[in-house]
Amino acid sequence: MEWHGTVQRKVIRRGTKSEHEALVLVTSQGEFKLRRVGGNPFHDETLDQLEGHSIRCAGELDGNEIFMSEWEVMD
Amino acid sequence: MAIDKVIVTNAAALSAKYGKTGFGKVGAALKKLIAADAKRGLTSKLIALDSKTDMAPYGVPVASAADAKAVKAAIDAIYAREKPDYILILGASDVVPLVPLKNPVYSAGNDDDRFVPSDLPYACNTGYGTDINRFVGPTRVVGRLPDLVGAKSPDYLLKLISLAANYKTLAPADYQQYFGLSAQVWQNSTSLSLTKIFGNSTGLNLAPSSGPKWTVKQLSPRAHFINCHGAHRDVSYYGQKGDSYPIAHTAKNLVKKIVPGTVLAAECCYGAELYDPVLTGGQAGIACTYLGEGAYGVFGSTTIAYGPSSGNGSADLICQFFLHAVIDGASLGRAALEARHQFAGLYSHMGPTDLKTLAQFYLLGDPSIQAAAIVPHGLNKTKAFQSAFAKIGDAGVRTLRRERLHRVGTSLKKDLPATRATKPGAGPEPSREITRVLADAAAESGLTGHASLHFHVAHKASLNKGDGVKRTVHVLISAPDQGPKQQHAAFRKVVAIVATAENGKLVHLKRLHSR
Repeated sequence: MEWHGTVQRKVIRRGTKSEHEALVLVTSQGEFKLRRVGGNPFHDETLDQLEGHSIRCAGELDGNEIFMSEWEVMD
Repeated sequence: MAIDKVIVTNAAALSAKYGKTGFGKVGAALKKLIAADAKRGLTSKLIALDSKTDMAPYGVPVASAADAKAVKAAIDAIYAREKPDYILILGASDVVPLVPLKNPVYSAGNDDDRFVPSDLPYACNTGYGTDINRFVGPTRVVGRLPDLVGAKSPDYLLKLISLAANYKTLAPADYQQYFGLSAQVWQNSTSLSLTKIFGNSTGLNLAPSSGPKWTVKQLSPRAHFINCHGAHRDVSYYGQKGDSYPIAHTAKNLVKKIVPGTVLAAECCYGAELYDPVLTGGQAGIACTYLGEGAYGVFGSTTIAYGPSSGNGSADLICQFFLHAVIDGASLGRAALEARHQFAGLYSHMGPTDLKTLAQFYLLGDPSIQAAAIVPHGLNKTKAFQSAFAKIGDAGVRTLRRERLHRVGTSLKKDLPATRATKPGAGPEPSREITRVLADAAAESGLTGHASLHFHVAHKASLNKGDGVKRTVHVLISAPDQGPKQQHAAFRKVVAIVATAENGKLVHLKRLHSR
């Protein structure tokens, strides 16, 4: 699948043992946490460069998380 | 002959995964397990839930392996007839599904789990449903010996069955040393947990900076207690210090390092989630890796878990209760049931996060395994005692224990109020006093924006509490779209305010901190 949106850093899963700041893709279909297969799910430095950018990404949606296989900065 | 232990599985699902030859190997391994159980004084019976023949004495066989409702009905029917002391569910979620219970605190961007996959309903006499409130009174001893989701080779499952068949009960002292691991930010909470279980926390490892390359010696204690971060579809547990989340424990580093007989209690989010290792490059998760390396059992969560930043609550408590019971000589399954009882019994009513905790923690492992021996009374060592119990062994006293567990579970089911979410606009709306207190507490805590959840607590008629008393629970959670991290830097630990009211009057207020 493919998504377009803006990458924002947000605090997610408040009040749980998983609360953390995550990179979230804000799209017209909703907001999804961005992950890379094999990347640190709590802080993936490879993805930090995407913060604030508009991107197109491809991958798999599982629950509320997109496991990205590829991405492209659009702006 | 009375059946002490039933092993339930889905033959078609196993056969589809492993083929005729592989399925035959699983059957042969199970015969050895049943024979080994017999030597321990347990009469065990294998029941394929999808087999017309096997299910004939009980009812309708399961037509679809994924049908949790049909599986629940089949297990209920088996339990009603056999009243086994142990129920062993054989296979992962693609063989025997977990029940998808509704998450009472689902909130997009906060607690993202719409459902809580759970084995709790299989431990309860209540019929199928997806409301956790239905299952607050478990009475059955249940555990799951998983294979690997999506596996094509039965080797992993064969290994686990063999380990269960050949397990040895060890001396209590073998479980009094521990491997303790915590995210640094939760040091105080984990230290408290370890002190409650083991009497000290001197062996606690903190991440950062410890881990993930643990030595055999470091992992050699058989009791493992871990309070770290965990993630969906992930092979590691993570530490935390500030914004740093280093790997604290990872599955690939555990190979040939887990001492046979190890028992793990893991508080981590998704700490015992079952998923297809293909999704993680072929590496199974930590829970399955522990079992594959010789651990007797893992007690962990299927989903996002809860706990306070300091002190103990939720995941801390249910994991403590489990490990304490194991060390005290309970079978793994009884330890899991007693942990659920102790946890549910702590509360006047279970809040929404408590309900999730009760549902999400489950046992991976053969529930009849007794890891640590009970410290015998002096009388037990006498010839008269040993002669008297030579034939029945533990069976007599086990019957007494099951009677007690049944009574406790039945009492919880009968007396614990139900805590149910109310739809927006359907009430109960918080009173002006509650609204003001919540607003003041939120402001003092730095919660400048928030979402609210409301619940009503429905007392059971048995408690004589219903007359005129309306108890409600109101939760303020920071809105998920709070924005940049600077905005939260000072208040990241404060996440929610929970008010409990009776007839609109505040009776309890707590502030939930992130972990």
